Amino acid sequence: MSQVRIIPVLLLKNGGLYKTVRFGKDNYVGDPINTVKIFNEKEADELVLLDYHATLDKRAPDFSKIAEIAGEAFMPMAYGGGITQLDQARKVFDGGFEKVVLNSVLFNNLSILEEIGNIYGAQSVVASVDVKKNLFGKLKVYSVSGTRKTDLDPVEWAKNLEAAGAGEIFLNAVDRDGTWEGYDIPLLRAVSSAVKIPVIACGGAGSMADFEKAVREGGASAVAAGSMFVYQRKGMGVLVNFPAQKIKI
Amino acid sequence: MLAIINYGLGNLTSIRNMCKRIGVEAEITADPGLIESADLLVLPGVGHFKKGMENLHDSGLRQLLDRLVLGEKKPILGICLGAQLMTGHSEEGDTTGLGWVDADTIRFRDAGLNGLKVPHMGWREITLAGENPLWADLPPEPRFYFVHSYHFRFRQPSEVTGTALYGYEFACAFRKGNIYGTQFHPEKSHKFGMKVLENFAGL
Amino acid sequence: MFSANDNSYRQCSLSVMDTIADPDIRFDENGICNYYYEYKKAEAGLRTGEEGWKELEALAAEMKAAGKGLPYDCIMGLSGGVDSTYVAWLAKKLGLRPLAVHFDNGWNSELAVMNIENIINRLGFDLYTYVIDWNEFRDLQLAYLKASVVDIEAITDHAIFATLYRLSGEKKIKYFLNGTNVQTENTLPKSWIHPKSDHVNIKAIHKVYGELPLKTFPFSNAKVKRYYQEVMGVRSVSVINYVDYNKKQVKELIQKELGWRDYGGKHYESVWTRFYQGYILPEKFKIDKRKAHLSDLIFGGQITKAEALEELAKPVYDPKQFKIDYEFVLKKLGLTASEFDAIMKAPPRSHYDFDYEKPIDERYPVLKPIKTIYRTIFPVK
Repeated sequence: MSQVRIIPVLLLKNGGLYKTVRFGKDNYVGDPINTVKIFNEKEADELVLLDYHATLDKRAPDFSKIAEIAGEAFMPMAYGGGITQLDQARKVFDGGFEKVVLNSVLFNNLSILEEIGNIYGAQSVVASVDVKKNLFGKLKVYSVSGTRKTDLDPVEWAKNLEAAGAGEIFLNAVDRDGTWEGYDIPLLRAVSSAVKIPVIACGGAGSMADFEKAVREGGASAVAAGSMFVYQRKGMGVLVNFPAQKIKI
Repeated sequence: MLAIINYGLGNLTSIRNMCKRIGVEAEITADPGLIESADLLVLPGVGHFKKGMENLHDSGLRQLLDRLVLGEKKPILGICLGAQLMTGHSEEGDTTGLGWVDADTIRFRDAGLNGLKVPHMGWREITLAGENPLWADLPPEPRFYFVHSYHFRFRQPSEVTGTALYGYEFACAFRKGNIYGTQFHPEKSHKFGMKVLENFAGL
Repeated sequence: MFSANDNSYRQCSLSVMDTIADPDIRFDENGICNYYYEYKKAEAGLRTGEEGWKELEALAAEMKAAGKGLPYDCIMGLSGGVDSTYVAWLAKKLGLRPLAVHFDNGWNSELAVMNIENIINRLGFDLYTYVIDWNEFRDLQLAYLKASVVDIEAITDHAIFATLYRLSGEKKIKYFLNGTNVQTENTLPKSWIHPKSDHVNIKAIHKVYGELPLKTFPFSNAKVKRYYQEVMGVRSVSVINYVDYNKKQVKELIQKELGWRDYGGKHYESVWTRFYQGYILPEKFKIDKRKAHLSDLIFGGQITKAEALEELAKPVYDPKQFKIDYEFVLKKLGLTASEFDAIMKAPPRSHYDFDYEKPIDERYPVLKPIKTIYRTIFPVK
């Protein structure tokens, strides 16, 4: 029996945590150091910390700040946001993170995946894929926090990323982000059946049932969520939480 | 003092963070003097076996470590790749290891995995075996974080102190006298890992 | 009745309040301190048991009438601690529909958050959380630390007070339920605290020692409170004062009914409060808050003086926990060990060294005669 990883995703900006809806409006949810401390005490399986506007705002990662945050976690941590070079990845790893999450850089430089993977292992490099419906209603890959459209098909792009050395795919359904409406199962299934590497589902989770669905129907290897873990319920106040139950398949 | 051997690979900061949290004095170091004077050693590691052996060789610490571990019997804990390096050989790069334990490192066998993906990544409960001070007072249903594509294969089951199930049962922890090894990452395994590190530090 | 103090150490014959806890403490001819009499007076004014419950039910009926057609009939703060949890439980028992408000100043412990989750889920209440901007709050805390004033919690208390009043206005809620209670909180030397409605003091301290502009920090003032109370008819009900409050029994109740987990200390739902009460107050200000609430428990007959002394003999802070908290607090506040050390060694200063909220005629004495006329026409209720 395999235990499925349940992963809170935390969005970092200027030293504070926020939560977005459809990658748009963001709400302040608190201090990252205390929030990670709480997730650690709740024994969250893994954590993803994203400086989600780093590339958009043209900011480099704040290495000392994220190292402070990592110091509160005794479970695997991934960091993404503004990483474009091996040297930056090295600083992130040295700060106490196990994985780096890459997104915008991959549209210019796929070889960075192997560059990092060859030293730290492929499992340490996660390729993040943001998918949104374009004007014609077709699902396309978007870059730079979902603001720049590409003409790439999510499945083809995922296959390219796998071939280039990504260890995992972090798949974001932008239109579902912060809506609590459930994952985009067809998208998930299409991508997870096209690659052998693990796919982490993200965007729209509203309940444990959504997690189960993502795994059983969507083929996800791990499930991630933002709103579910920082709000008490949809439309309710901020309250950090993490389920005690596990998902076993 | 616990010395975390820095040969360029591994979750050095995380291990030190956990040591700090449990009140154990720990240093990340590549300095032979410090390593020699340490009471306990940790050999971390994440990544490719061949690179691991190359880095170890380049660090110039090989002979010192052989002497301290095999000769002086200083307690040492190998973590993940660090533990794998202690075996005699790995299929990864067809590389020779340190040979401190009577085992080799092999890739997960697809046949036994029944469709499960490699690397094995995530939390898994382990089955404890044999006498091992590292398991003292472990919280019930111990589980740890694993991330690896290769695992140990021991000739002597007596040296295996823990197994886990991923497709098939594989050895995930060993002990040979003063030499300890875990495939999983205690520094990333919450209270379970803290207990293991605490027990190791108490040796 | 009370003899004058000389400068030697003296402890109340009944309780554990002493001259260290309050240099202005007074003792009668039997060595009993003034706090005992204050407690008894407050206790006599309480109507608990059956009578108290009837009164509470009558109040609840008023609240329900006022809340008719609206989503909530009252508002209450929820911290995850014993008192506010008990208030929540009582609110449910009275059939009320409260809006639960949690105030997040960035120091929540996991226990607090878990307790709140259980309370909300089991009682089926709505939760509103106000998350203070951490950077601003941190700046305020540092300002207070550098100012060496005693009541650092005043900033959190003020923000809660301001937020609750604002919300009550927005959501048209006329009743506050609060967890203040005589049985464990009556004894409180004035030198330990500063009025929480005093926004002038906060701004004055921040002006001297703060570095960031306070753009989002919620401020209010005594005038606003009076407005809400007198004009809008907002009323605060200390629910626990209407029931027989036995701490031990209440803890057992909420553990059983709400899955509440104990912190092992009053107010330890906040890592900061634990550090403040466990280290800063005793070490820098020589204040051990346990003396006050243990004395209240003695006055109320819930524990004996011997039991209280036993409790006081225990260290305020578990050394292992202290070390972890110390690192965490310094990390969050961005202080080096030597910076923090300097703060701890600096002598305490009075809040009144900085500007504070005064009635308008005290601030501008020329207005005194006008105020007299005004008060004749509009007397304070």
